[in-house]
Amino acid sequence: MSRAYAAPAQRAPAELDAFLLWPAVGLLLLGLVMVYSSSIAMAEGSRFTGNQSAYFLFRHAVFLCVGLVAGIMAFQIPLRLWQQAAPWLFLTGVVLLLLVLIPHVGRSVNGAQRWIGLGPINLQPSELMKLFVVLYAADYTTRKLDDMGSFLRGFGPMALVMVLVGFLLLKEPDFGALVVILCIATGILFLGGINARVFGVLVVVLAVSFVIMIWVSPYRRERIFGFMDPWQDAFGKGYQLSHALIAFGRGEWFGVGLGASVEKLFYLPEAHTDFLLAVIAEELGFVGVCVVVGLFALLVQRSFAIGRQALVLGRVHSGLVAQGIGIWLGVQGFINMGVNMGLLPTKGLTLPLMSFGGSGIVANCLALGILLRVDWENRQLMRGQQV
Amino acid sequence: MKAIKFSRSPLLSERLPPWRQRLVLVVLLGAFVALIGRSLYLQGFNNEFLGDKGRARFERVIDISATRGRITDRHGDVLAVSTPVRSIWAIPEDAQLAPAQSRSLAALLDMDVREITRKLASEREFIYVKRQLPPELADRVTALKLPGIHQKDEYRRYYPSGEVAAHMLGFTGIEDAGQEGIELAFNNELSGKPGSRRVIKDRRGNVVEDVESIHPPLEGRDIVLALDSKLQYLAYSHLKQALEENRAKAGGVVVLDARSGEILALANLPTYNPNNRVKLSGAQLRNRALTDSFEPGSTLKPFTAALALEKGKVRFDTAIQTAPGKMTIGTATIHDAHMHGVLTVAQVIQKSSNVGAAKLALSMKPEEMWTMFDSLGFGAPLKLGFPGEVGGRLRPAKTWKPIEQATMSYGHGISVTLIQLARAYQVFARDGDLVPISLSRLDTPPQSGKQVFSAQTAREVRAMLEMAVLPGGTAPKAQIPGYRVAGKTGTAHKIEGGSYANKYVASFVGFAPVSDPRLIIAVMIDEPSNGKYYGGDVAAPVFAQVMAGSLRTLGVAPDAPLKPLLMTSAAPVKEEM
Repeated sequence: MSRAYAAPAQRAPAELDAFLLWPAVGLLLLGLVMVYSSSIAMAEGSRFTGNQSAYFLFRHAVFLCVGLVAGIMAFQIPLRLWQQAAPWLFLTGVVLLLLVLIPHVGRSVNGAQRWIGLGPINLQPSELMKLFVVLYAADYTTRKLDDMGSFLRGFGPMALVMVLVGFLLLKEPDFGALVVILCIATGILFLGGINARVFGVLVVVLAVSFVIMIWVSPYRRERIFGFMDPWQDAFGKGYQLSHALIAFGRGEWFGVGLGASVEKLFYLPEAHTDFLLAVIAEELGFVGVCVVVGLFALLVQRSFAIGRQALVLGRVHSGLVAQGIGIWLGVQGFINMGVNMGLLPTKGLTLPLMSFGGSGIVANCLALGILLRVDWENRQLMRGQQV
Repeated sequence: MKAIKFSRSPLLSERLPPWRQRLVLVVLLGAFVALIGRSLYLQGFNNEFLGDKGRARFERVIDISATRGRITDRHGDVLAVSTPVRSIWAIPEDAQLAPAQSRSLAALLDMDVREITRKLASEREFIYVKRQLPPELADRVTALKLPGIHQKDEYRRYYPSGEVAAHMLGFTGIEDAGQEGIELAFNNELSGKPGSRRVIKDRRGNVVEDVESIHPPLEGRDIVLALDSKLQYLAYSHLKQALEENRAKAGGVVVLDARSGEILALANLPTYNPNNRVKLSGAQLRNRALTDSFEPGSTLKPFTAALALEKGKVRFDTAIQTAPGKMTIGTATIHDAHMHGVLTVAQVIQKSSNVGAAKLALSMKPEEMWTMFDSLGFGAPLKLGFPGEVGGRLRPAKTWKPIEQATMSYGHGISVTLIQLARAYQVFARDGDLVPISLSRLDTPPQSGKQVFSAQTAREVRAMLEMAVLPGGTAPKAQIPGYRVAGKTGTAHKIEGGSYANKYVASFVGFAPVSDPRLIIAVMIDEPSNGKYYGGDVAAPVFAQVMAGSLRTLGVAPDAPLKPLLMTSAAPVKEEM
């Protein structure tokens, strides 16, 4: 080969999807800035943090580093291995969900037992479980592709597993994670071609059971009513939401400026976790909210595009994993943002890639690594190489 | 896109229906569009409503305190001033101190560690740890950087003259509002009006942003008193000395400017230190010169004589038989301490004869006497604006029995305050007229006041009062070198449980220099118990000391040759009781 001919060949197509990578990095970094901004007053004023204003910034930065390493490691692992490991990972997740319920092993905050204490860090199994469900549901669907038309063989086993997981999550309770996990599982089954009639029944059953669950639990019912009209009991049940809405209103088009939020000054609870978007809305305005929503939309769109490409290449498991991750980020992002804006009832769900929380960030980074791996493998296959 | 083109390659088969993927993606992206729509509504259209809700929660109107005005004496010397101090307060929930932190805080605040621990264990959301610390000390507390411990700027009232002028000035409470004395009487002028500003507060109550100033504070006005610090000190120190020498229970001195009616000094004992009011008793707090009335005794005789002169009943030298030194009216008998025989009206005052005064009184109608007492200001408060001021007791003339009319002529059966008594003596120090008395300095003194007696009568009584302090009178100890002095002693039995007890109130009221009276000084000593109790022995020396010092301080020209005082040539006449 002459040099002149070889040169263009070496300028190979990108190995990574820039439209996936950079929006994700953007959200992670914006999350870091906003976690710091929203937590600075709270951290400085609390004796639990030792009055260090950078308490949450420091920890979130460490989580991002750990997440980066985890993501790079996930990227190194072929999807084939992920598929082999999927049932075992899922089993691990179930075991962790069991462990978290054991007194003294699981840690309880605000009445919810969601964390396992491991020395200096707390592990939140439900966050990892979301990733494991993506992998497992994709694996399951791939294996049962021929049974998707059958209710008993296609849908039954998965339904049983979901009932078990759901039961464990409700014991914590972590209603938000349950909703996300059920959306992921049903979404992947739907994409995997499950019988439309069966799916219709499934949706109806799920909807009815949600209504029942909400109805029997006063704790959840209160949250529902608080969201319907936060101003009716603005200093009681509607307190958190009313402050989140005020933050949006104060932000107007361009926000009050980075760092200038008043809501974060002890008014809005959970400003650095569940209600991070409200602080973004107040400080960066409608423009900031549009950027965040837009980046999420881009992530979801890329996940589906990558997944579709994998499916077209005949890689069913990879494709379902990619689209499952898209469903995960999309559904959880939508629910969190919807809660912030008063579109949905208040739940304990963080904003993926942005909110403070080690388990969530690491799980999101793992997912991104896997997603990039699917894309990378697609590109390798299209070049006619093996993966 | 390249990928799509590639996927359409007929070489590849797709097992999963693409419409499902498109449907899920469209649903998700549709949800995001809904988020944008909702955000647009909240931030672009509903923002006014939400902003109002926000303002209702964050914005507060807070007071900007006005600085309390100063109180100065007539020369501008500061008597009361507000100094900035800081109060240490805490949110007990946040203030979780390590034992070492508690100890260093306790050491700085000079408090017991256990007390601090107890306070910080409170269930309340806000507590004061210690109030009104000097700013330097508060800075050292700040340097400890304790969680949950905050500071607040306040003012503390400081009284440089301490206990000397305590009763006159009064004091303020911890919230900087006047509670006694001038501080209370002039509280509105002194305190000014607080301003207000609108701020944004965080949920813990810290101001994080200034929104606007609604109106600035109106600073308190300075009050310039008529008081003269030097005279006040003279009055206070001589009174204190006299109380110690005579082992008396209480006492008071009032110094009035005879020309303007201004109160130049007013001292009472017992007193207190307004800068440290830890243990205060009611007795210490009372401004006796204004709030306690007493039976003045013989100091009222000159008024009786003046009225008799004014009504033409007698002349300066009309002879009155006072023998045998007692007189029976109805069932009661009045006595003189010594038998004097025939006395002129002037001598009745000089020697202070009860029988003589009673005879003068009985020559007049009760209504005439009542009208005189009333126009002298007895029986009603002077309305100086001072808290707790009383008017004394002057019963209606219709109810007077002859014996009462007789005893009132020498100051029994009637009660007055020391300030009323001093003020009434204006009629003799001036030419028969009374001007209002004033707590604050007057730029234009009144030219003339309410005429009670004619100028002629006033001058005649003035001469009688001058005789009283000369040898042969009751109060030679009231004399001072270089000045002609006039005055009258009083020694009254105190009433206890309805009858006269063996306790006395010694008093002296006088003025100087007689040729052009400048100062009126009234002295009252309550229950002297060191052997002497006559006004001439107990109160007159205080008068002389304060008067001599004051005239010198004011630079009043002497009107008598400087010569040794004639005091030993004859034993002073003891007055009756």
